[in-house]
Amino acid sequence: MTVHPLHTDDAPSPPQERPDTASAYDSTWTEQPNTQPPDDLEQVMLADGKIYVVLAVVLIIWAGLIALMVRTDRRIDRLERRIDDTGSEDTRQ
Amino acid sequence: MSTSSSPVVPPRVYRLVQGAVFLVLTGVIVAGFLGSIPQLDILEQSARNLYFHVPMWFTLMGATILSAYHSVRYLQTGDRLRDIRAREAAWLALIFGLLGIVTGMVWARFTWYVGTGKWWNFDPKQSMAAVLLLIYGAYFVLRDSIEDRDTRGRIAAVYNLFAVVTMPFLLYIIPRQLPSLHPGGEGSPAFSQTDLAPAMRWVFYPSVLGFLGLFWLLYTQRVRLAWLRDQLRDEPDL
Repeated sequence: MTVHPLHTDDAPSPPQERPDTASAYDSTWTEQPNTQPPDDLEQVMLADGKIYVVLAVVLIIWAGLIALMVRTDRRIDRLERRIDDTGSEDTRQ
Repeated sequence: MSTSSSPVVPPRVYRLVQGAVFLVLTGVIVAGFLGSIPQLDILEQSARNLYFHVPMWFTLMGATILSAYHSVRYLQTGDRLRDIRAREAAWLALIFGLLGIVTGMVWARFTWYVGTGKWWNFDPKQSMAAVLLLIYGAYFVLRDSIEDRDTRGRIAAVYNLFAVVTMPFLLYIIPRQLPSLHPGGEGSPAFSQTDLAPAMRWVFYPSVLGFLGLFWLLYTQRVRLAWLRDQLRDEPDL
């Protein structure tokens, strides 16, 4: 009795480690000419699996919200000053 | 003129949203940094930026639609509070858009463009988002160039409707026709099973809601303040 070997094509493929869409992006976006050696800033940002990129993004958002708060605060100041000015005029009259 | 002529929000609602936003965004930051994510090449840990970069654009989208809604209502009623609401929502849309574009630049620079020194890579979505921000920037230039208050309100409202119509084209339709770093080229990422890992959805969706809530808090604050300033200007004694 002859044993027909299973065609090798059907051999179980290695478990897929990442979704297919990622490979599409990999092929498109890895081919950037990598000409320069990593500079100091890159060495910091790329350490520990690029977690510092996330930190930078969160800090940018944080800074933006604080800047917004300062602007609103300044607006309130102006409004208060206007009310104060008119108040002092009232007492003079 | 209209029944909606008070910008005051019920204090209980405001405090409730405030507390919810604080809790949700705190949780998002903690879970965003500590939660487990799929390990992909190139992206590595920077995939966590999804929780912070993408909600900026969702917020911009919500803010521009809200702004356009109030512009329509302004054209219908002539209620000045509607004009103030439209302006403040558009202003916050611009702020969140700027944060989105700067965070996107940093993300791409240190993830896909390492070693190239490129801060601006002319990704279709990036370029189109910049065009959108310029369109919204022009809204404020247009507003400030008109002296008469009613004329300014009307013209700005009409321009705002033009601006909001460009938003879906510039942020979604055109970028998805072109090869891009962003998801969406193969169909809507909203329905895709592969673009967003299930574990990340539990942080991403609360993050979107949290930032929308944060937008609403800032928006109501600014509307109340602008309304107050507007009222004071009308007082003949002041």
